[in-house]
Amino acid sequence: MFNCKESIDSLLPFLEGEMSPEDEEHLRQHLNGCPPCVEFVNTYRATSGLCRKALVKSMPPEVAGRLRAYLRSKLETK
Amino acid sequence: MTQTSVEDDRELLARAQAGDMSAFEALVDRHEEKVYGLALRMTRSEADAAEIAQDTFLSAYQHLSEFRGEAAFGSWVHRIAANNALMRLRRQKVLDIVSDDLAGPEFTDRGSLAEVPESDWSKRADDKILDEELGRAIREATDALPEGYREVFLLKDLEGLSYEEISEMVGISIPAVKSRLHRARLALREAIDAFYKEV
Ligand SMILES: [Zn+2]
Repeated sequence: MFNCKESIDSLLPFLEGEMSPEDEEHLRQHLNGCPPCVEFVNTYRATSGLCRKALVKSMPPEVAGRLRAYLRSKLETK
Repeated sequence: MTQTSVEDDRELLARAQAGDMSAFEALVDRHEEKVYGLALRMTRSEADAAEIAQDTFLSAYQHLSEFRGEAAFGSWVHRIAANNALMRLRRQKVLDIVSDDLAGPEFTDRGSLAEVPESDWSKRADDKILDEELGRAIREATDALPEGYREVFLLKDLEGLSYEEISEMVGISIPAVKSRLHRARLALREAIDAFYKEV
């Protein structure tokens, strides 16, 4: 059976389904008896989505306008 | 509405390859948001992001004839943009390879979690609206990641590139990409956890 550290170290292959069946069994056994690690897995899994929400930013209209003007000037002279 | 709005990228691309400028502009229309967003997240500079978007579409246009169309146009320009952003970062600074300051969970000598998470905030992650303060905390935490970790995290979790693509672009092995991704996620998870603890 894994301890907390081994469990957390193996989260990436675990969540991607790339763990060996034996290791996955070790991890599952640990998670069954360790609520803090279950919370850790849940919050680890939620982290990417929260970051995506925080980091998405749209293009300001003036930037879009400049891009269009730039491309036009570059492409039409070819 | 013109017919252009329902044409898919493939048709637009074929027309652009045949020399139709308006078809290329329609492709730019469809993909500029994503390209700009990627560049902005990578470089953290609006001026750089605008220039990268310009370079990306210009180089896409110049290489239109080489594009075979097996991949989606979107992922093609996405890769060009990611490469452009990485090149710019390279130019700007020496890669920060120090990783010791990355936050992560602490363990006891026996390998047990030293600190029990205060609450399981993963359920709140489904909320449609992200708390403004949490958003700020996440942006600061992402900015604070060492460069080599930040770029891997952004390319994988924000831009959805494959491990192979990232390994090739960043010039490190796939296991190294995975290890950096994991460390970056741990550090960001720690930052979000700290945010919820303070509240
Ligand atoms: Zn545990």
